[in-house]
Amino acid sequence: MSDERSEPNGGVTVEEGQTFGLPRWVLALLPVVLLAIVLGLFLVGNPFAALGTGGEPLPDVTISYTTLPDQGTILVHVTNNGPNAVTVSQVLVNDAYWNFGVSGGDRTLAPLESATIEIPYRWNPGWDLDVTLVLSDGPTVSHTIVAPSTSPGVTGTILGTLAVVGLFVGIIPVALGILWFPYLRSLSEHWLHAVIVFAAGVLAFLAFDATFDAIELLERVPGAFEGSLLFVLGVVGAFFAVQAISSWREQKAAAGSERASSGLWVAYLVAISIGLHNLAEGLAIGSAFALGRVALGTFLVIGFMIHNVTEGPAIVGPVARGERPALKHFVAFGVLAGGPVIPGAWIGSYAFSPTLGTFFLAIGVGAILQVVWELTKMAQGDTGRAATPLNLGAFLVGFVFMYVTGLFVTV
Amino acid sequence: MPSLDYTRAADYTEALEARLVDHLDTAFPVSRRSVLGGLGLAGSAALTGLGGSAMGQGAGSDDDDSGFGARGEYENTRFDPHEFLTQFNTGRDGQDNVPQRVFEENGQTVREFEFTAVDTAVEIAPGVEFSAWTYNGQVPGPTLRVTEGDLVRIRFTNGSSNPHTIHPHLRNLRPEMDGIPQNGPGELDTGESFTYEWQANPMGVHLYHCHSSPLKEHVHRGLYGAIIVDPDPERVREHPEEYVPYHPSQITDALREDLVETAKRRNYEFIQRNDYDLNELVMVMNGFDTNFDVDNEVYAVNTRAFAYGVGRTDGNGNWQAGETKRPIQIDRNDRQRIYLVNATEFDPINSLHTHSQFYDYYDHGTTLTPTHQTIDTVMQCQAQRGILELDYSNHEPGLYMFHAHQSEFAELGWMSFFEVV
Repeated sequence: MSDERSEPNGGVTVEEGQTFGLPRWVLALLPVVLLAIVLGLFLVGNPFAALGTGGEPLPDVTISYTTLPDQGTILVHVTNNGPNAVTVSQVLVNDAYWNFGVSGGDRTLAPLESATIEIPYRWNPGWDLDVTLVLSDGPTVSHTIVAPSTSPGVTGTILGTLAVVGLFVGIIPVALGILWFPYLRSLSEHWLHAVIVFAAGVLAFLAFDATFDAIELLERVPGAFEGSLLFVLGVVGAFFAVQAISSWREQKAAAGSERASSGLWVAYLVAISIGLHNLAEGLAIGSAFALGRVALGTFLVIGFMIHNVTEGPAIVGPVARGERPALKHFVAFGVLAGGPVIPGAWIGSYAFSPTLGTFFLAIGVGAILQVVWELTKMAQGDTGRAATPLNLGAFLVGFVFMYVTGLFVTV
Repeated sequence: MPSLDYTRAADYTEALEARLVDHLDTAFPVSRRSVLGGLGLAGSAALTGLGGSAMGQGAGSDDDDSGFGARGEYENTRFDPHEFLTQFNTGRDGQDNVPQRVFEENGQTVREFEFTAVDTAVEIAPGVEFSAWTYNGQVPGPTLRVTEGDLVRIRFTNGSSNPHTIHPHLRNLRPEMDGIPQNGPGELDTGESFTYEWQANPMGVHLYHCHSSPLKEHVHRGLYGAIIVDPDPERVREHPEEYVPYHPSQITDALREDLVETAKRRNYEFIQRNDYDLNELVMVMNGFDTNFDVDNEVYAVNTRAFAYGVGRTDGNGNWQAGETKRPIQIDRNDRQRIYLVNATEFDPINSLHTHSQFYDYYDHGTTLTPTHQTIDTVMQCQAQRGILELDYSNHEPGLYMFHAHQSEFAELGWMSFFEVV
């Protein structure tokens, strides 16, 4: 230990960058290496053998969803959540053994493996189907397909239709809402703040909406993916991601950047978070459509348009003061906020999974929560108080408005 | 679990092709090429997954199969329900896993069998194993074949992890031999032994089963089997009125001779010695609850769902015998006798229905004249049993279905065929 020098008080002085005479990277890796060794010993020695009761972990298989591509076929999408491989030995449809095939040809699913089971069964529209998987040692996993109808599947026409639906449900109402911009500019400070808080109310309502949707969806997330924690991860992750962008803006604004101090940043944040929400909305529309669960009638589209039109002023509220942003920004708002409905619908119709759906909903919730925070700061004005009677009323009106229009759009 | 490997699959396809072509060559004026072309199309559809799958993932169900029925073949070879049909243990000869002997003792024929209760897994549907409690490692237990008046001696050892008994449905005169927890040795714990002695009486087809508590579970787990008591033709000659539901005054000499002759055709030793053109089959109807919901997921005769079904079919009248799932082949010139026992748990009744066929039925087998004449469906409650006599001599060769006429049971495995040749 040539680096060490004895001090009069018995301490040891260590050279900068070295501890116990070892390079820093060794110190970083040391615990990892030791952990690996301990794990190795653990696996070899099996010190908990005495605790073993001989009990096998229970098989845990989830049927995430089913699709009915035609009237002679049932597709069952399954995931093995358990720690052991499971074999789907037989399949029952309405209490009768039925022939089936498993994607990949292997009926054994490794832990966390997903597969599609295809059953050639002539089902009848509207007559419920009970599909039961019989695993190799006897346990069964059941799923009831209520009021079956043909899933449209994915074709160019359907993607086109979904794009048009997305246009009407997402982009057009947001764009129409943005047209309130000139009027917003004419408002007094108080009323403009009220509009901004109204927008916060709208968003807060959407956060609740998405949370409950996610809770409903959670039950169908395969257990191994820990649906509830995935939701928490999405919310917290999105919140801090948006917060980081926001802080970066504030730093730049503090450093004297003109652009950063304008309301444009906030407007973009609102647009992005609304976009995330609309992506989840698109997923819901797309999957409902693909599963044949919804008739996307005129009424529903009208409902969505009224529901989403309030998202426009929510975006442009923050830029109502000061210089009018260039027109391209307004186009960008519309596309960012409303556009995601279209890819959302596509993803939803093609590859909907409860896991993906939950995660997108969670991201939307996290982003919205941060933006609500941002908007309320903005509504403080000179008094430093956002909770004026007018603002509180506006927040409530936002809630009520979304509740009432939400009644029209139950997917 | 291994699925069909490619070599086996190819062999299988080839066999299927050959069989189908052969069949069609004789049945319809169709060219070989058109048949193979059709198969090729079906095969490629299966390979590319275009067979109805919009996902295009090649989920690859067997497209030349109609959908109904359990997929795949049985893998476990420890038990063969096809062999079980005609396996009788007489004391003189029988199965290797049933040590047995026959000898005279105090002027009575003693048929001695060694029974051991064993816990083992049985395959009840292709790829589905059930943790069973068994007599001598099989479900149903070994079929015993004795003659009325014999002494049946069972040297029973419990090698299972649970306490068991053997309770016979015979006219037993000694209460301690009844095989119930409340009598005699009661429930035998693991490792304990007891020798049961039963009088073979009355003539008929009977059931034996474990009577430990809880009874439902001990029966349903597989501890049951058939014991067939053959009539003694000499005794029939002396006491014909005991074998028919008539008043003694109705017994004529002609009837007496008739009953003696019938008794001989029911007696295993006479059957062995003479050529009666007779085929005897043991069928124990049973069910298995694999997921503990007190409802059976599998119904069968002799344990294996669809074991006597066709291997595969295109649903258009063409079929192919499987390796382990295949019809029971019978000679149309033989009279068919079925010893039918209902050991189904959880359901009040089970049944047997024959297609295009009517039969005579002898309830419990305790009479020499039928208790039901010319029926095509018979109902049995649990533990009820009987003898069916069927005649296919006028039928054209081919497939004749028989199954439980509880459609639910049929679709859950109790669906079988005779292939009359």
